[in-house]
Amino acid sequence: MNFAVLLVPDFALHALRCSEPALRHQPVALIDGEGRKAVLTEVSPEAEGVTPGLAVTLAMARCPGIVLRPRDPTAETVSNRLLVAAAFSLSPRVEATTGGCCTVDLQGADPVKTTAALHERVAELTRLGLPARAGVGATPLLAFYAARCATPVLVVGEKNEFLQNLPLAFAGPTAEQAGVLDNWGIRTLGQLTALPKAEIGRRLGTDGVAMWERAAGEATRVLRLTPPAVTFAARWDYEPPIENLEPLLFKLRRFAECLAFELRGAGFVAQALALTLLLENETDYRREFSLAEPGTDVDGWLKVMHAHLETLKLPSRLIAAQLVATPTRPQVKQDGLFETGLRDPHSFWENFARVAAILGSDRLSTPVPSDSWRPDSFTLEKPAESVPAPAAPLVHPPRGGVLRRFRPPRPMLVVLENARPADLSGAVGGRVRTVAGPWRSSGGWWQPEGWAVETWHVELARGGVYQLVRTADGWTIEGEID
Amino acid sequence: MSSPSTIAALRSLVAAWNPPARPPSGVPTGVRAIDELLGGGLPTGQLTEVVCAPGTGGQSVLAQLLETTRAARQRVALIDAADAFAPEAVPLEVLRHLVWARCRHLTEALAAADVLLRDGNYAVVLLDLRDVPASALNRTPSTRWHRLHRVAERQPAAVAVFSRSGLVPAVRWRLELGGRRSLAGPRQTRGQWLEDLPVQASRGFLAEELTA
Repeated sequence: MNFAVLLVPDFALHALRCSEPALRHQPVALIDGEGRKAVLTEVSPEAEGVTPGLAVTLAMARCPGIVLRPRDPTAETVSNRLLVAAAFSLSPRVEATTGGCCTVDLQGADPVKTTAALHERVAELTRLGLPARAGVGATPLLAFYAARCATPVLVVGEKNEFLQNLPLAFAGPTAEQAGVLDNWGIRTLGQLTALPKAEIGRRLGTDGVAMWERAAGEATRVLRLTPPAVTFAARWDYEPPIENLEPLLFKLRRFAECLAFELRGAGFVAQALALTLLLENETDYRREFSLAEPGTDVDGWLKVMHAHLETLKLPSRLIAAQLVATPTRPQVKQDGLFETGLRDPHSFWENFARVAAILGSDRLSTPVPSDSWRPDSFTLEKPAESVPAPAAPLVHPPRGGVLRRFRPPRPMLVVLENARPADLSGAVGGRVRTVAGPWRSSGGWWQPEGWAVETWHVELARGGVYQLVRTADGWTIEGEID
Repeated sequence: MSSPSTIAALRSLVAAWNPPARPPSGVPTGVRAIDELLGGGLPTGQLTEVVCAPGTGGQSVLAQLLETTRAARQRVALIDAADAFAPEAVPLEVLRHLVWARCRHLTEALAAADVLLRDGNYAVVLLDLRDVPASALNRTPSTRWHRLHRVAERQPAAVAVFSRSGLVPAVRWRLELGGRRSLAGPRQTRGQWLEDLPVQASRGFLAEELTA
């Protein structure tokens, strides 16, 4: 087991169908050329009676509902990125051989694990609309032959036995060579390789020797290695510009799947996603989604982005979009025996991210009061994975009511009697019955943003206890003591 | 028509049509009157409305609930529709299990509730709708509440809705707090004050009553 090949037959056709889901179950064919000279290059199985090489007019006559399309280079690029990313999850030595074909150097890989991984990758690619096959062999060529015959994964053990019944066309003979060999009664690779290589060379020349080596699966070559992805970004254009969310979400899913595949292949997970929408009026809209739980869960990503995009109104139509994933290494941890961790961490962080997308990431978290007497001073921290054991009870339990804030504090007019509040008007009004305070505090006086406040608690004659604050700017009501 | 036997028969009939999704169990609030009234604490898998007019002790109940759930190491989500929670008003240690959603308006709060209620990681979800403008509350279609009822039924969390006046339709328990804050008199600890907090059920019945 030295090389593996991941192959998607009729790659251009499948790439087109992936980018246009409406074509999934329709008879479709790709055409090459224009006008009467156009011929079919790839045909979907739904197009009965139509085969590659047929003229367009004949194809339309045989299958009236057939959809004829030229190749879509953008769709092929995206699908090829998926294929290359799948290959990188097997080994870091990958060659993007052609569109829809990747060769992987498996030197040093565990055969059992690699075979299992190949089955997984093929299943994933098939789920994404690319029905891939995988072959494994001692040379890149042998692996390629195996991939062509695989259903869906084939590992070549005994080379001669495998090649014995393969048709001669696998060795790629020229028309002249095929004619000569046909006259000799040679139909399979096994029959060809049964002939001595030197005798083939004497009769068919060096080209004949090369063909014999290809038939024997001996031809080897140095792979032109593809560098692994360093940045994880995808950009796509809309022509014509779009106005609705649906086409954006469709492409977003497609490219998110591509990025997730690339991240997994490189051993990364995403910790943040940056979405840029380019608008027709030559402005753009940017939004970064920080993922509370780093991962490659495309559904989770889309839920977060969908929640935000649903509430978004853009001033102009959308002409292009770009999605960039910030990679990080996956977190590995082991829970303690007595920790009360999350029942379902994945669901917790996914829902957390969804709510953060609705409210804004600065409005959802665990509050931590600052080490200061400054009013309404606190920070927000990421919720703990597990709720720690409670500390010892407070020596002095809290007394009095609990403040319920008015944010922002509302300005008040306060009438003083004997330097104490006696009558209020503003957001809350009325005669003051009881007063407590003042409590004075200040801080940061050595800085320009220094602060100083005087806090009072007042009970109104009509009921209700409130917290008043006096600063250099005047009186405000901070909240209700409840 | 309104005789007790007729009402009991009607309740039995309704209960037979809508059997509870799970056996009733409760999350203790730490407020004696509420826990006694509810038979152990906030019932899981359903909405409970706590009606608290200004100064009746709603925020003290909320703080006590945070303290009780913190001691039990249960996770709590607070959806704060009016962004009125003051973290510095409760000890730092009591906040370690809390996820606080600071909303700007009712729509955000209901959307956040819809998501957080589906999360099975929270023991209690608190939806604080006090001080939300009445006009916004009145515009909320009853289907939104029905949706929250249905979502809550499928989750193991207890859901408490804090409101200024009866708001949630078809709620099984609606409790009205009758405390009165005052600066005069002895300065009690919060626990002492809550011991004597008058709580009245303006709507609701125990599950045992259904089977009686």
